[in-house]
Amino acid sequence: MLALEGIRVLDFGQYLAGPFGPMVLADLGADVIKVEPAKGDNMRPAAAPFFGCQRGKRSLALDVRSDEGRVIAHELVATADVVHHNMTKGTAPKLGLDYETLRAIKPDLVYCNTWAYGKEGPLSDFGGLDPLYQATSGLEYESGPVAEGNAPLYYRFGMCDASNALLSVVGVLLALYHRRRTGEGMDVWASLLNGGSVFTADTLLVDGEPAPRPRLDAAQTGFGAGYRLYETQDGWIQIAAVTEEQWSGLLTTVRRAELADDPRFATPADRERNRRDLEALLEPAFRTRTALQWSWVLDEADVPNEVAIDTVGGQQVLFDEDNVRLGLVTEYQHPVKGLLRQFGQLIDLSDTPGKVQGPPPLCGQHTREILAELGHDDADVDRLAAADVVYAAGDDYTERFSV
Amino acid sequence: MSGVLEGIRILDLTWGSAGSMGVLLLAEQGADVVKVEPPTGDPFRAYVGSHVWNRSRRSVALDLKSDGGRKAFRRLLADADVLVESFRPGVMDRLGLGYEALAEELPRLVYCSCPGYPQGHRLADRPGYDALVQAASGQQWEQPGWRPGPTFLAMPMPSMGALFLVAIGIATALVAREATGRGQHVRTSLLQGTLLYTTQIWQHVQHGALAHNTLMAKSYPPGIHQSSIFECANGEWVHASTMNGLPPKRSQDEILGLPDVGDLWTFMALPPEEKRKIEEARAAAFRARDRDELVEEFHENNLGCEAIVRADQQFAHPQLRANGMVATVDDPELGETTQIGLPFTLEGAPGAIQGPAPRVGEHTRPVLVEAGLDDREVDALLAAGAARAFGET
Repeated sequence: MLALEGIRVLDFGQYLAGPFGPMVLADLGADVIKVEPAKGDNMRPAAAPFFGCQRGKRSLALDVRSDEGRVIAHELVATADVVHHNMTKGTAPKLGLDYETLRAIKPDLVYCNTWAYGKEGPLSDFGGLDPLYQATSGLEYESGPVAEGNAPLYYRFGMCDASNALLSVVGVLLALYHRRRTGEGMDVWASLLNGGSVFTADTLLVDGEPAPRPRLDAAQTGFGAGYRLYETQDGWIQIAAVTEEQWSGLLTTVRRAELADDPRFATPADRERNRRDLEALLEPAFRTRTALQWSWVLDEADVPNEVAIDTVGGQQVLFDEDNVRLGLVTEYQHPVKGLLRQFGQLIDLSDTPGKVQGPPPLCGQHTREILAELGHDDADVDRLAAADVVYAAGDDYTERFSV
Repeated sequence: MSGVLEGIRILDLTWGSAGSMGVLLLAEQGADVVKVEPPTGDPFRAYVGSHVWNRSRRSVALDLKSDGGRKAFRRLLADADVLVESFRPGVMDRLGLGYEALAEELPRLVYCSCPGYPQGHRLADRPGYDALVQAASGQQWEQPGWRPGPTFLAMPMPSMGALFLVAIGIATALVAREATGRGQHVRTSLLQGTLLYTTQIWQHVQHGALAHNTLMAKSYPPGIHQSSIFECANGEWVHASTMNGLPPKRSQDEILGLPDVGDLWTFMALPPEEKRKIEEARAAAFRARDRDELVEEFHENNLGCEAIVRADQQFAHPQLRANGMVATVDDPELGETTQIGLPFTLEGAPGAIQGPAPRVGEHTRPVLVEAGLDDREVDALLAAGAARAFGET
């Protein structure tokens, strides 16, 4: 049995922060139906982020704004356990897809909206993109870092989208747990704004004043002489000399043992205060050998270290023997793009495993199959397709869609 | 105590942010969490952030390397639904507390492991500090910064991914347990945490361009979204973003008092020299404006825009406050603190912060007595150094 076997999720989301959550649920074994407009999810033209959020789902291309489309959506909701989407405020009620309407159809429904800002409040009407929340959370300021005179820095991973989606997954799972115990459904939400602030949760005010926290240097190497990247003869090495033993091991290894007795660098607080002087002494030492040579001698001295590797856009990680063997990587045939390789299973469950269920679906790839499950015969589907209420992927696919 | 996890007991043996914050997401939805840490304390307590990620739980200080400490821990296990640990693979086995050793006796136990690298990986025995996983996973090299080479990620990305995998893995196992009656071993790692954030960048296909050479490409200066960061007056910054889902009343250029160029795609299609002139005019117009007034004007015109603030300034955001994400916590060591609240909401059964981060061993005696030890047995453990109770020497 798969972990979430028998759980049906309807994913009415588009872009990233909506669809990524249902993809994670699909990887855990849920039956996820992506309900997208007949013209396709707006993210389809940007194939890379689209592929990262859509695998393992079936696609029903349905115009939920049409009367007939709404009826079909409601038929589907009657069979579902979870409805998930990232529509902006007011959209779901207009489409008849709000919680109150849908719980009348399916009383124990778990309903989840991933918002940009939040459910109620001054900016709750607004949508928004990931970078706004890298701004609000302090990520861009601290990553510059602006305090050192640099410009703010945007992280290209789009993590606030992911964080919002992942929070929604935790919420949905806990609501499903509650439903299994009580029979009751509920309404769940998360937001990009909240998701961003999870990443700077180590920040706090004490009596209204900011508590000191690790600070990045202007050269973006790290948090201090013992926890940073150093440039070597041929590349960079990350050091994590966290304990006093590791620190003295580091000094001995780089032949700067005399610094251990230097009162400027005696304690972690001293080393933080005189960080620039200390780093100016260590940096030239690291340039005298290769990263690999440093790694070997630091290993012998029990000083935690790793060479910072360039994976060539992830290729080395996605083709790494260990990662492949352990299922951290997946690869399958995509009907348009041929082989598609991306990250695989991220949680291993020993008794009820998850499963990467297949490639991202084509738009409307499963329209006929899903409508047949609802009792619509082929003639009915043809009629709905002719009326543009649904789209079923066919011979015209590549004229309409890039992926 | 309230929340959907009421009645679920979690033993939290984790050190560091990934495990502790994963547990936090569950603790504040009603789980009863006991942090089991060494008598010397979880070594990550030195970080101020641990006051946030360790809150909403009780602390029992036990030396699991001692027979007495392990025996007491076994008593706690008898009532536990979930055990979470973040040691290197093999450490719990050597203590006789590995999954295999416990599963037969405790078939309903959900046992979650979150080391730096997965068991069976050649890196599994290497130290798993966050920045090391950043380096070894290639993520530092993926992030463009202000110089060539890898960029240290100020946001501890491996841990910030793994925290979700811990919470999702445990929640999934609890859902499954309702159907099967059985617990199981849930395994993830910081390395897997990093992979979560490759969704938009690491997609490799046989035919056509994708991934690292398209929309989210690594580039200098970095990326499409970096170009919408602007400096305002007084050295303050904003991130302007053109869409917020509502129909704009005025465009960014109109707000800045500049000729309207049109949408992003029109702009991108212009000759480089013309683009450069427009960019310079925009930068100058932003520099002339007060940051907060500008953000307000963008919002009034249905355009996305946010101030780029210091991390500790996030708590002033009015919507973050409206979301209940700004909390006041009376911390026994720090005093009155402002911290993040609960980042997701279950409307049908809302959770709550259940208290500040405990001091080392603050609940050793009451928790062990609850588990059936008598005061004399607890005294013996304390005397032998196998346990420590805060306030008792």
